[in-house]
Formats: sequence, structure tokens, C-alpha cells
Amino acid sequence: MNVYFLKEHDFNSFMSKMIESKKVIGPVAKKSKFVFDKLESPEQLRLDYDVTILPPKKEFFPTCQKLVCFDGNKFEGCINPQEKILFGVHFYDVKAIDMTDHLFSEKNQDWNYLANRKATTIVASNIQKVSGRAFFASVGKEVGPKGHDAFITKINGGYVFEAITDKGEAIVKFGKFEKASDSQKSEAQSANESMLGKCPEKLKYSSSEIADKVRKNFTNEKLWEEAAHDCFSCGSCNVVCPTCYCFDVQDDWNLDQKTGTRSRYWDACLTEDFSKVSLGGGHAENFRESRGDRFRHRIMRKATYLNEKLGGPACVGCGRCSSACTADIADPVNVINKIMEAK
Amino acid sequence: MSKPKVGFFDFSSCEGCQIELTNYGDTAFLELLNHIDIVEFREAMTETAGDLDIACVEGSFTREADRARLESIRKRSKIVIAYGACAATAGVNALKNHQADYKENVYGKDAHMPHLDSSKALPISAAIKVDYSVYGCPMDKYEFLRIVTHLLHGKEPVIPNYPVCMECKRRETVCRYEDGDHCMGQVARAGCNAPCPADGIPCEACRGFVDQPNEVALVKVLKERAGFSEKRAQEKSRIFTAALRSDSK
Amino acid sequence: MCNCCSSNNHSHNYDEQNIFLPKEAKIVRAVQATATERHFTLRMASGEKMKFDPGQILEVSLFGFGEIPIGLASSPTRENTFDIVIRTVGRVSTAINKLNEGDSLFIRGPLGRGFDLNLLRNHNILVIAGGIGLCPTRSLIQYIMDRRSEFKKFSLFYGAKDPSQQMFLEDLANWRKSNDVDFHETVDRGSDDWKGNTGVITTLFKKSSITPDTKVIICGPPIMFKFVIAELDKIGVARKDVYVDLERRMKCGVGKCGHCQINDKYVCVDGPVFSFDEIQNLEEAI
Repeated sequence: MNVYFLKEHDFNSFMSKMIESKKVIGPVAKKSKFVFDKLESPEQLRLDYDVTILPPKKEFFPTCQKLVCFDGNKFEGCINPQEKILFGVHFYDVKAIDMTDHLFSEKNQDWNYLANRKATTIVASNIQKVSGRAFFASVGKEVGPKGHDAFITKINGGYVFEAITDKGEAIVKFGKFEKASDSQKSEAQSANESMLGKCPEKLKYSSSEIADKVRKNFTNEKLWEEAAHDCFSCGSCNVVCPTCYCFDVQDDWNLDQKTGTRSRYWDACLTEDFSKVSLGGGHAENFRESRGDRFRHRIMRKATYLNEKLGGPACVGCGRCSSACTADIADPVNVINKIMEAK
Repeated sequence: MSKPKVGFFDFSSCEGCQIELTNYGDTAFLELLNHIDIVEFREAMTETAGDLDIACVEGSFTREADRARLESIRKRSKIVIAYGACAATAGVNALKNHQADYKENVYGKDAHMPHLDSSKALPISAAIKVDYSVYGCPMDKYEFLRIVTHLLHGKEPVIPNYPVCMECKRRETVCRYEDGDHCMGQVARAGCNAPCPADGIPCEACRGFVDQPNEVALVKVLKERAGFSEKRAQEKSRIFTAALRSDSK
Repeated sequence: MCNCCSSNNHSHNYDEQNIFLPKEAKIVRAVQATATERHFTLRMASGEKMKFDPGQILEVSLFGFGEIPIGLASSPTRENTFDIVIRTVGRVSTAINKLNEGDSLFIRGPLGRGFDLNLLRNHNILVIAGGIGLCPTRSLIQYIMDRRSEFKKFSLFYGAKDPSQQMFLEDLANWRKSNDVDFHETVDRGSDDWKGNTGVITTLFKKSSITPDTKVIICGPPIMFKFVIAELDKIGVARKDVYVDLERRMKCGVGKCGHCQINDKYVCVDGPVFSFDEIQNLEEAI
């Protein structure tokens, strides 16, 4: 496909035209942080964001999603995709979306996610500022970003826009794009490459070395107990993770006591009740009873369990879990480097 | 089928949870009245009734003399709901269990008047069997609606056993700690949809703790990240959870 | 119009592909199996016959109350009805167990991996069922009984806590008399009128002669697995010939929600039936 250049002073009119005709979601400021939200004006867009509180998967897999609406014993599905453009996604989140695409597609295709996903055009953007806990340069290097429709990179005097799919190409009509020159293309390339050197944190081993050694430490109870000593089982690390996709399903009636919904909510395997099964009479069995058990499950899931399916670890190095953890014990870099350096 | 009869009662409390019920400001409360009959409600009516389907009891159990009244409510009610933090966990009332001089501080020269005598503040479950609890100070009216809806269908209400952090994250609230503040959302039972941190106010755990709060880690985080002194960090969580902490009296 | 969002614009093109959309089934028979378990016979409201393998599961729901995973308790060789047994333990099961003949339930499935009949045919079979483990294995037991000539020697060990906990009393009576099955039963605690074996399920091994070339199916409480496997090791049954039917907190039933995950396996999709050699090295499995 084509690579274009858009002059700096044409950027806002491009965004305005796009926002006028499509629903556009992009990074916007929220206090000192950033979130993906619907853009009302180009000025809201903050392509200089470091990382968002929640990953963009919420656009396909909302934190609360209706699955079935019912009225007594009558019912219908709630799949209702709306076309949108997800603008300004960093490459680590593109990788994560590709993973959830795979996980929601394998075996039983889940159209509650996939319909939203297919209705979305993803425009990735270069990272202009690296977040304080990022380690995207050193994790899962064998898996590249894919599945996005276009990639926009800020360079001197404007933006290089690489259309990757027809959906990405279709966006070009909103702005005064011209063909990018070779020097503009190579400037974009080096802008993207140079950011890889700026991660404040680093995994020191390959994905397969990590997978092997972490897996071997499954039965190292002491290690997991210590690692989880300060864990609140609060689930923050799960909820902010771009590759986590666990959910709980709950039914609720509306006030008329007759109609209602069956919805799914983001869940978290770190929370106490996640693997608890009710046995009746007030008894329950919890398959991951201790904080250590649950902490281990998360690390295993990120570093080993899904590697075969995904071609690499289910972690993209965004660093969201590290900064969301108030006890600061969730950082995969710290946990994994510690395991790797133990004898 | 006749509508379930619901009564409201109060013990040691500010009655704010009952007021909260009338504060919907939308049609939700009126819609609820299509499905239940409120037969006793001191904040809005004077009648009293006999047998009840649901008794909502607000306030803590602080006087042995209240036991008989609680028992009589229990006896004539199919379901008893501990309504609001004071009833469910003893709430802020339990703070006094940790202070010898609270009367002088609160009532001054009237401190020795006999009607101010009370014993330890306890949740009403210390006196009678409680079927369900509506947590919070005040209780969340929408959660109350959901609980009543479930009970109308004979379904045990779903009360979260995960902390407020989950709800803050789901709604993308900037963490209080990221703003240089403190918070107790990590140990506080969710279900309120975390309105306080969203408004820039730390969670005070007014809904009580999750089943297994990590109190040790809380003290550590309050000291290390919020810069609290050891004493303040140790005592911080007591405001709403005095009766739930490992050092409860 | 959709009640949840007051929209007229829902695209219902997705209904056929929507893995969360259930189908209605009618209860044609409801029997209280024990004090806490209720046995339902169901027929799809559409009249269609459900195709399934013994050992597969269903997600069974009531709107407003929620959904639970339940193993099919009858064989696909039987008419166009199917059986489930539900123990009253939580919100959904409590509500379902109040239902009667003529009421509706909502079904997703069949889901998961059941028993691979091709691996069992023309072999000696031993089914070991403890407690409500008899419910999912009943689908296989019925299948074997219905197609008896396809299998060699068929043994069945059944253990219950006490005689009042025994289920499928008609089946038990038939199996006791039948020459088609080498049936042995036990209870942990007997009662005054109990004349059968008393003791844990492994005490039944001495009542039968199980040969090393037997394919063994185990379903029951987790504690049972260890002891049964030890007995089978003594006999010399290869672990690849042992199949277990696992129970976990399955929620979505389609391998997405993560609740039933053990290591890299989803019990609801990769199971609930596993060969023992598949899971014996998976921590958290047994």
C-alpha cells in the first residue's frame, strides 16, 4: 500500500473532517493521565501520550457488555457493532489487540468481540513519550505488531501515514495527503526505532528462556508466597492489562422486574473469588486459594501458558500493571528477572 | 400475588441511609413502589404494621436494651437486611470502642447524662440473624434497588468480594496514589462503583473490607507511598472498619 | 425493540454465530433425585434432537438468575430428550430446582470435549463414579448399555456418602440385575437397612477383577482421584488409558472467560474429559 505525508498545519483539518464523518476514538488527557475516548475536536487528541489507563481493547470488549436482553422467557442477542476509527494506538497495544483477536477467534468465535473489532479501523501511531514503567522493547521480540490498518508517525514538519489495508487507505480522503518521500519514510522509521532504546525497564532474557525457567518454578511455593506478600488481590494488574480478557457473567432485572440483561464484566484472576466454586450449604472450594497461587497464575499466564498459541508471551511491555499496583509488586520485569537470576 | 411488605427501622445511626432512599431524584424509587409496599418508615410515615417480608434495619447495636426490639423485628420479618454501614459493620460508631474519653469529647458537660450511656458499638448481627447486608455510608441506593430486585425474585443478592480498585480501573479513574494522595480502595469492598476517587476523594472503605483484606500491605503502602507516619498508617483504616480490623474490640 | 438499549437497530444477523445466545428447552420430567439434587428430562422447544457425545456439558440458564455448566446425564442413543441433574448450591441452581414439568430452561451446547468413543470401543471398560460424578458418567454408562456389543467387559463402581445420597434408583435397580454390567456399589456410611458394601470406593476393587487392558473412566470428588489412581497403578492400567472428568468453575463454557483455566487448558473446551496422562503433570489439575 501507499505511504503518505501530511503537513503539520494540515493535521487538524484532517482530524476535523474525520471526526465529522466517523466516530473517532483517540488518546485524550484525564488529569495527569491519558485515556482512549471519543474525540469531539482535534485539539483533544494527545498523540504525545505515554500510555493510557486502560488499553484500547475496551472498544471491542467493553468493561461491561450486554450479551443477551430478555423479557420474561423471550430473548435476543445484543451484538450491535458500530463503525469507528481507533486512532493513535501504540505498537505494543496493536500487538495486544492482535492477541485478543486470536483468543476471541480460536475454537469458538466470539462475535460479541469480533463484530466490534471488525467494525473498527485501527490507526497506530509512534510513541512520542515513553511511560515510566515501559519495557516493550525487551519483551516478546519475536512477535511484531500486526492487524492495524495504518500507522502514523510524527516527524519534523508533519506526519508520515502508512496505509496498510483498504480500511487504512480509506482514511486518506479526509486530509491533504501527498506521497511521502524516501527521506520522510526513513525519518519515520528511525523515529520508531529510536523509541525502543528509551524504555526505562528491560527483561534480560529471551521469551523461551523465561518461559522455561518460570514454568520450572511453578512448585517453588516460597517464591510465589514472597512475591505476593504485599498483594491486595485487588485485580488492578489484570484490569489494566491489554492481554487480559477474563470476564464474569451476571444477570440483572430492570426495574419493571420482567425485562433485563445478561452482561459480562471484566474480571480478574487475582481476586479471591475468581476460582471459587460453591458447593452448597455455605461451603466452597477455591482452586487458587492463596494470594501466592493467584499471583503465580497471572505470571504463568503472561510468561508461559499462552506462548504456544500466541507465538510469544502474553505480555507486551506496556508497564500498565507496574504503575497500577499500589504495592508495586506486579511489575513483570522485577518478578521475572528475579526468577531468572535465582539459581 | 400481593406485594411484599417492607419496613425500615433505625438504631444508633444518623438515619441518613433512609433519607438516601428518598433521594433518587428520578423515577427509580417510584418504580420500586410498584413492586413493594413500604409499611413502616419513620422518615416518611407514621403507621406501623405487623408481619413483614423484608425489614431494613439501620444503625448499630449499641445498647443491651435494644436487643428486645431487634429480636421483635427479627421475629416478625422473613428477611432482615442490615441497611447501611452502621448496621452491617458497626461503621463509624465502632470507633468509640477504641476510645475511653469519647463521651467527654463529644458531649462535654452533658457527658454523664444517663441517656448517653451505651456499650460497645456492634453490627446488628451481634444481636440477631442478618440475611443480607447493604454496605456503605451512606448505602448506595442503586445497589439497594438491585438487592431488593433480586430478593423479589427469590435470588440471593450479588455483593462483590473484590476491592474498589477494580471499579476505579474499570471507569479509568486516575489512582489517588498517582495524584500524590492516599486511598484505601485496595482493601475496601466494591459495589458502589467508586464515586469518591472519581471525584478526587480517597476511598475510606465505608463499605467495609473485602473478606481477606491485606492490612499489613495497606499500612506499608500508606507509609511508603502516601508518606503517612507509622501511627497514622496503622490507624487510618479504622474510621469505617474498626469492627472488622484484626485489632477490633 | 430491544429492552436493554431501546434500540430498533440491532443487527440480528449475528444470532446464528452468537455463542452466548441460548436455545429454549422444555422440561418434560422433573424428579427430586435426592434431598439436594433434581433430575430433569428436557426436550428442545424446537423439537430438534440434540447431537452430543457422552461427557459433554451444557450451559443451562434461567434469565435473571444466570447460567451454570452442567454435564449431560443421558446418552445420545436415547430418543430426542436429554437429562441433567442439578444440585442446589447457588443462585442459579436454587432457582432451577424450583421448576417443574412444562417449564422452560435455556441451553447452550453441547460444549466441550466428551469421551472419545472410538478409543473405548472394543475394549474392557471400567467406570468409577463417586457422588454426583455418576451424573456425567451416566451418559457414557447408558451409551455402553444401549450398544453393549460394541464394548467388551463393562464394569461400574459407584460410591455414595450414604444410601440416601444414591441417585438414579431405577438405573441402580436395573444395573444390579443386569448381566450386561459388572456393577458394584458402596456407601461411606451405611444405614440400618443397608445391606451392601460399606467403605470408600477403592474397596470395590477386590469385588471385581479388573485387567490391565481396561480403559478406566473416573469422575468424582478430587480426593477420590489419588486413591483410585494408586489402585489402578497396582493393577497395571496405563495412565493413558485412564480418563478423568474434571470439575472447575466454568462460567462461559466456550473457552473465553478464564475461570476454569488450569495451566494452558480450559476445562470447558479442552475437557471436561481428559486422559490422565494429559493432566497428571499439570499442577493445579488434580
